[in-house]
Amino acid sequence: MKPSLPSSEDRLILPSRPLRLFGGAATALFIAGLVVMVLWSILHAAANEPQVAQSTIDIPHLLRMTSIQAGLTTILSLVVGTALAWCLNRLTFPGRGLVVGLFAAAIVTPGLIVAFGLLSVWGRNGWINAALSPLGLSIGNPMFGLPGILFAHVILDAAFAARVLLARLDGIPTARLKTGQSLALGPVQRFAIIDWPAIRGALPGLAAIIFLIAFTSFPIVLLLGGGPANQTLEVAIYSAVRLDFDLRGAVNLALVQIGVCSAIILLASALAPVPTSLGPSGGQSWADRPAARALQWLILLVCLLAFVLPLLSVLIDGLAPGLRGILAVTGRDSFKAAIVTSLVIGLASATLCVLFALLLAMARATTARHLARIGLGAPAYAYLAVPAVVLALGFFLLVRNTGIRADTAAPYVVVIANALLSLPFAIATLGPPLEAIARGQGRLVRALGLTGWQQFALVEFPLLGRDLGVAFALAFCFSLGDLGVISLFGTQDFATLPLLMYRALGTYRSNDAAVIAALMLILALLAFIGLPRLFEKLANAQA
Amino acid sequence: MLKLDALTYAHPGSGLTYRFDLRAYPGQVTAITGPSGSGKSTLLDLIAGFLRPTSGTMTLDSLDLVPLPPEKRPVSLLFQSETLFEHLSAERNIALGLPPRTPRAEAASRIAAALSEVGLPEVGTQRAATLSGGQKQRVALARTLLRGRPILLLDEPFSALDDETRVATRTLVRNLTQAHRWHTILVSHHADDVASMATVKYRIEAGELVEG
Repeated sequence: MKPSLPSSEDRLILPSRPLRLFGGAATALFIAGLVVMVLWSILHAAANEPQVAQSTIDIPHLLRMTSIQAGLTTILSLVVGTALAWCLNRLTFPGRGLVVGLFAAAIVTPGLIVAFGLLSVWGRNGWINAALSPLGLSIGNPMFGLPGILFAHVILDAAFAARVLLARLDGIPTARLKTGQSLALGPVQRFAIIDWPAIRGALPGLAAIIFLIAFTSFPIVLLLGGGPANQTLEVAIYSAVRLDFDLRGAVNLALVQIGVCSAIILLASALAPVPTSLGPSGGQSWADRPAARALQWLILLVCLLAFVLPLLSVLIDGLAPGLRGILAVTGRDSFKAAIVTSLVIGLASATLCVLFALLLAMARATTARHLARIGLGAPAYAYLAVPAVVLALGFFLLVRNTGIRADTAAPYVVVIANALLSLPFAIATLGPPLEAIARGQGRLVRALGLTGWQQFALVEFPLLGRDLGVAFALAFCFSLGDLGVISLFGTQDFATLPLLMYRALGTYRSNDAAVIAALMLILALLAFIGLPRLFEKLANAQA
Repeated sequence: MLKLDALTYAHPGSGLTYRFDLRAYPGQVTAITGPSGSGKSTLLDLIAGFLRPTSGTMTLDSLDLVPLPPEKRPVSLLFQSETLFEHLSAERNIALGLPPRTPRAEAASRIAAALSEVGLPEVGTQRAATLSGGQKQRVALARTLLRGRPILLLDEPFSALDDETRVATRTLVRNLTQAHRWHTILVSHHADDVASMATVKYRIEAGELVEG
């Protein structure tokens, strides 16, 4: 359902909160200023950086490959996601909540870990080849190149799509379902008449988001790309900066990337918004006929295997060396430094992200003026158009132009960049409930004469607890798994867990990489499950 | 006759246990009243098959309804809203009441006849979303006519209608009930609805039906 636009009546309902408006405006201006500076740095470099004599960058080829990969990912993810949502909506079984939660966790599972898990299962030295080798058989290495990239993307994006679409299916009014059941609609009629109208509105917006995620994918393509033939713009930018020292080429690529992403954002902004859907999902009592149920079980099992197997392999391979083997990796100074860096950066960027999101969303919920609402929303979404590596490149150039040492600026840049990259998701999580509170409880808040702080402490925080935890967990996990920003700013002394893992893979220390991957996965899942609960408890204590 | 004998249901959430004894006769409207949360919708869900009773019997003449799934029960439903699929035309909504693979010509003539009977011969091709509240209820009644199921359950069906439409729709339901000998069960908060339509009245008190 589209949120209703604020009406003139809302101006009477909403309490006047000049401080909130000021805080939101200041945050929006700060973010807009950073975006402008990053873009200026990139444009300035495009005009002034010397051209590398033998630049190997082929922009049309990269654009074509990135578009094909992202387009195929989008189509496959929507088809698989719709099928998976259909199955999860229909089937009720013990542990259903856990399975739904597992697919919801796809949004925070680092791409690097999924790619690594796929290689563990399907790679040359993976589980399947190991099982086949006694028979003298081998499947080779099917996960390198476009098939591997697509497979990894579809695992993550189809699970994300399924969670969003499942929320739509769960939201179908009970009376409509009762009418359909009483009319004895068959599975096909039921999908066409009841389900499809409920989900089709979400598909264009979902397609735009998935295309954007796949178009700007970095770690999966870096690990599974298998060479220049399957490179995407993001990976080409990284290669140009870190491997070829072709800064002019990187800047040109970044401009193309920004152009395409901005066009998709503009398109997506005209479509229905896609809220983050991480709440509980109830099963349905209306089961389809046995043949349809058999198909639903089959689809669910295949999807579960495809999603769980790589993650399971990461855990098994990572924990296989035993306590002594794990301690050998975690006892190294480089690991200790990396985990501390990851946690500090994750917590700092998540705090900053939630603070920004609260300031912007509270200010937006305070005003019914259309232009002010656009102004408060736009800067956050501008960052969707500037993917991680491009953002890092912009900051890299900015730091260089200001004469600050890169290693001095690195921690601050990584924290700010990660906070900004998570901001659209945090606002999508916190914005709708804050708007609902303002419109639903605004009259009462006004009638009681509550101050802004009382409104937050007594009304908003207790009602927002879980959403705040979800936003914090998303930002923390995104930062924990980020390889894009750190890949340009990382040094020998300043590395996070993903960078340490990538370096281990680059030097063929796959056991070390497996241990790091397993620990990262456990950390991400713990944060994703634990933080919303922690915030909910804090909020309940407040209530 | 629709007969409920010691039909009990233990609500898993609240722990309340309902016990229903009821007689509903063909061609009559049986009204159920009671405060919010008293169990009126629970009773309708039990008759429609959306809830399974803990014990007791429910029969229509000699047919045992308890083991039948909702789609096999001789029941049609009319809610306050969500009675039609809004994106489909009125005709397509009504066609869902016909048996599968009904020949096209026969379907068209039966739909037209049903629309005429509910006083809306001209709205067939209109999307349900464009119809008024009263028109939607009439189209749903047209579908009920085609389904030919002898029990009609009405859950606050007139609540969203203005006074004039409300009176007209009530009259239509009463007339159709008599003409087609439906066993109509009406759940309503509105005394007007009950007074103008009901032949038999029950109210729910402490989880049980009391006649009168």
